Amino acid sequence: MDMVKNKKILIVDDEPDIREMIERFLRKEGFFRVYKADNYADALSLCRYEKPDAAILDVMLPDGDGFSLLSSIRSFSDMPVLFLSARGEDEDRLLGLGLGADDYVVKPFLPRELILRLMAVLKRVYGAPAVERLPVFRLESQVVDLEGSVVRREGGELPLTAKEHAILLKLYENRGRIVTSDALCRAVWGDESYGYENTLMVHVRRIREKIEEDPSKPAHLLTVRGLGYKLAAARETR
Amino acid sequence: MDGAVRILRRFVGSTILVSVVLLVFNLILLGSLIFKEIREGPSPEAVVRQLDGGLAKDGRGQYGLSEESHALLKAHRAWAMLLDGDGAVRWGERLPAEIPRAYTLTDVAKFSRYYLMEYPVYVWEREDGLLVVGYPKNSYGKYQLDFLVEWLRSLPLRLLLLLLCNAALALAVSVLIGARLIRGIRPLIDGIHALAKEKPVRVENGGLFSDLSQSINSASRMLQDKNEALKARDEARSNWIAGVSHDIRTPLSMILGYASELEEREELPAEARQQAAIIRRQGERLRSLVSDLNLVSMLEYEMQPLQLKPIRISALARQAASDFLNDGLDDRYAITVQVQDESVLAPGDERLLYRAVTNLIQNSIRHNPEGCAIELRTLRSPDEGFCHFVVSDDGQGIPREDLPDVVKLPYVAGRKRPSRNGHGLGLPMVARIAQAHRGDLILDSDPGAGLRAVLRLPLS
Repeated sequence: MDMVKNKKILIVDDEPDIREMIERFLRKEGFFRVYKADNYADALSLCRYEKPDAAILDVMLPDGDGFSLLSSIRSFSDMPVLFLSARGEDEDRLLGLGLGADDYVVKPFLPRELILRLMAVLKRVYGAPAVERLPVFRLESQVVDLEGSVVRREGGELPLTAKEHAILLKLYENRGRIVTSDALCRAVWGDESYGYENTLMVHVRRIREKIEEDPSKPAHLLTVRGLGYKLAAARETR
Repeated sequence: MDGAVRILRRFVGSTILVSVVLLVFNLILLGSLIFKEIREGPSPEAVVRQLDGGLAKDGRGQYGLSEESHALLKAHRAWAMLLDGDGAVRWGERLPAEIPRAYTLTDVAKFSRYYLMEYPVYVWEREDGLLVVGYPKNSYGKYQLDFLVEWLRSLPLRLLLLLLCNAALALAVSVLIGARLIRGIRPLIDGIHALAKEKPVRVENGGLFSDLSQSINSASRMLQDKNEALKARDEARSNWIAGVSHDIRTPLSMILGYASELEEREELPAEARQQAAIIRRQGERLRSLVSDLNLVSMLEYEMQPLQLKPIRISALARQAASDFLNDGLDDRYAITVQVQDESVLAPGDERLLYRAVTNLIQNSIRHNPEGCAIELRTLRSPDEGFCHFVVSDDGQGIPREDLPDVVKLPYVAGRKRPSRNGHGLGLPMVARIAQAHRGDLILDSDPGAGLRAVLRLPLS
């Protein structure tokens, strides 16, 4: 059974219909320890006595606001908190995350979206500290091993430099999608990366020499003229 | 400040002009009014000279006066006598009885200067003696003027000095009065200037202009009150829209939530699930409408905070184009990016600018269902200090006369036609985002020749 599904989830919202709906979605998803509160005071005492593992907080409560509730909770608990707000304003968003909220969902939301975010937060906080492994993927006969930072092809292994590795990783994360040269430069050289486009081109050419059958006619690492590059859909090997 | 100095200069100038005109006028009056009746008829000297001409010895050695000289003498009620070298009267005409008939040297010296027994007398030197003409008593006053030669010589200089002193005095007095006037006006001028800048004004009352300063104060009060009322109304409107959209969000959450749940229920008939999908999609449309409405109203009433940072607009163009291509842009549409200058940085709110650009692209897509080629261009503007982000298409375009309308909010007075597709907030939002960045949105189009939208943004 999924480790996160037995976590205690607290829903705080002054709208009974919303509480009920969220509870319904959570139960349908497999969560079975769901607590509900409709105001600040109840929510705080529930937090103290039931010690939930995560909370979904509405920003606007009849006897206070969710941000100060979060501050109070933080004084005795580090449980992950996801804000649910009908005010989509940016300041709210920044304030909520600045206080140590783990995520922020704006109403109206799709249930799938809420559940996905909650799961992500729970996995991040309670999930087994899985060793982050970098992808290994196959492009025709070449295997790009980002974990080992090599390209394996007939006739041996070609090591990848740090920059080539960073570029390939960014492209792989967005495989099948155009990644602008700006985004690639930022991924490799950081925010102050203006003017690296030519260097990027050089690195891309070297990568092609390693991963393409015919580097002059690339089939995997494609140039999208005027925009950036795209890694044609690649198959992960594990 | 400048205005006050100008007024002072004007005032001093006109004061000096008035002084000069007054001086000239006085001189003319002096000549024509004061020195006009200094004497009646010809001057005594002229009479004496004429008499001298008319007095002649006849053949027998007797003196005789010509007819007209005689008449002249009579007209002036004067008398005349001729003294010889020894002081004896050789000839007389109309001599009063009290006049002596012989004179000593002292007598002559005395009367030639002043009076002879209170008769003002005038003398003329002749070959055969001294002609003396006496006017009636109390008819003329005789004064002797004596001047130092040095004084006379320096007289022009002194007169000039006098004039200069006068001019200086006039200048000083006018500057003094003018300065006082300006001191009175200065707060008023400052007040009016501040009024033009819509700053609160409180001009001190008192003095010559108390009613004026009162008017300025009340005008300022009125302006402030009006501005505050306007601001309050804008805020109320924006808050109202924010409140309404907030209140819509909760029920919309339920609609979206349950509709998508129904959509995913395997046990439901396909038709019901399709209908649930329609409800969910319409709910999502409503969601974007609500948030767009909120954003536009915040922008409209200048309540949208901007998180400004330098934005590389070429990168923004590539990002927007890539996102459209990545999200499965239909093959009917082509999207290209042209960058003229990579280095152009404009301070902007990245999220809002990205929104503006995507709205423009979305607009081109929506208005050309048969497809079109969309081009994004970034360039330095020909006018200093601005850059252009151009989104153009080769589609149907918008009739020129409708262009001003499409950036107006839907349903406002003056927007003629309801927007045909979409909720009509797209272009108005772009225009307001541009304005929030102190730039503007320039639309250019001809039917059939495509639409060209230029986001003009200040560089700093």
